[in-house]
Amino acid sequence: MKKSIAAVLLAACTAFSGVAAPLQAQAQSDASVALSMMPIASVVVGASAVGASATAAVAVPAALSTAGSTLTVVAVEASADGTVYVLERASDGARASVKVAGRAARGVSNAVGTSVVVGVIGSGVVLSAAGEVLAFVPNALGRALLHNERLS
Amino acid sequence: MSHARALSATFAAFAIAAAAALLPVRAQAGRSCEQARPTPALVARGMELAERTSQALDASGARVVILARAGQDLGKYGLRYSHLGLAYKTDAGPWRVVHKLNQCGTAVADIYRQGLGEFFLDDLWRYEAAWVVPAPAVQAQLMAELSGPPGRLVRLHAAPYSIVSYAWGQKYQQSNQWAIETLAAAMEPATIGNRAQAQAWLQFKGYEPTTLRLGPLTRLGGRVGSANVAFDDHPNDKRFSDRIETVTVDSVFAWLPRAGLGAAPVTLKLQ
Repeated sequence: MKKSIAAVLLAACTAFSGVAAPLQAQAQSDASVALSMMPIASVVVGASAVGASATAAVAVPAALSTAGSTLTVVAVEASADGTVYVLERASDGARASVKVAGRAARGVSNAVGTSVVVGVIGSGVVLSAAGEVLAFVPNALGRALLHNERLS
Repeated sequence: MSHARALSATFAAFAIAAAAALLPVRAQAGRSCEQARPTPALVARGMELAERTSQALDASGARVVILARAGQDLGKYGLRYSHLGLAYKTDAGPWRVVHKLNQCGTAVADIYRQGLGEFFLDDLWRYEAAWVVPAPAVQAQLMAELSGPPGRLVRLHAAPYSIVSYAWGQKYQQSNQWAIETLAAAMEPATIGNRAQAQAWLQFKGYEPTTLRLGPLTRLGGRVGSANVAFDDHPNDKRFSDRIETVTVDSVFAWLPRAGLGAAPVTLKLQ
């Protein structure tokens, strides 16, 4: 029987909503190529929308925190504010959903059946497909290093 | 005065394309706006540099630093870093960087408050951070500015942007220029209320911009090839003698200790 972790969603952190314009920005003499497409996500429990403050206390689910795990995209759902990828772990069928906000999801391979590799770094989990980042899910340390706010 | 013999590699690339054949250089202009996907390695390295920089800044005891990154290779032009921001430690603990970012492919920019992650989650040329710890009195003035109302913090921001804006002009304002003009305003909040006053203070304190040696073909190529490159703010006598004076990280890092406003730069490099 499949272990269901469907209740666990990885959703775009509210703090990063509306980042499309800021992340298009580049610094003087810099080419902010990667940042313009950086799909930052955070963990939300439950199907309903949960604010960023609530996400801070939620741990990354086990299926997505084991380095080297291979997941498969089993469903893709586009919405107004992002794209949800339903992922399944090959070894035991455990599932999780990843929500990538807005424009950050563009260009990502979104075909059902795509393999997603789990990478673990000190500040979070990097989910990648075909060598490109699908989502970065920061842990507490990562969240402390991330913030985006336009002041002008 | 520090000198650089030519402009950045990126800029030079489309300068050559434009000058050599007068080809449709718009294709070159889009180079820095390519929507490439980040690789796992880029995220891992950028976040590692952010994490280690945060730890080093905590250990330094400073509350405010002038923080730089190396977004592209400017070494052959005598420049080591490409971009700086004003970084400070929040009461909650994390460091934040306030800096000016150009909207990709446009001639305007805005001020952002970001984490160290965003600051280094870029396609960096070198995974290296550098910072100057300002003198305690300077840190106090900057902290008041950085933790104050955003509307006040951005009062010297001017949206029109050119990466080579004239250091003593007000038509455009590039990222590093905003940072030091804001430093000036932070130091003299009662008397500095506009960019001209900030620049007068910088001159009084002995700041000297980098002089880029850019010939006419390079200028033409840059101007035609990119929305965020302009030279019409530079005085004719300097422009037509190929002297483009602009604010660079390296010139700021040389000036701060010289003016007694900060310590010698510190670097942190990932292996």
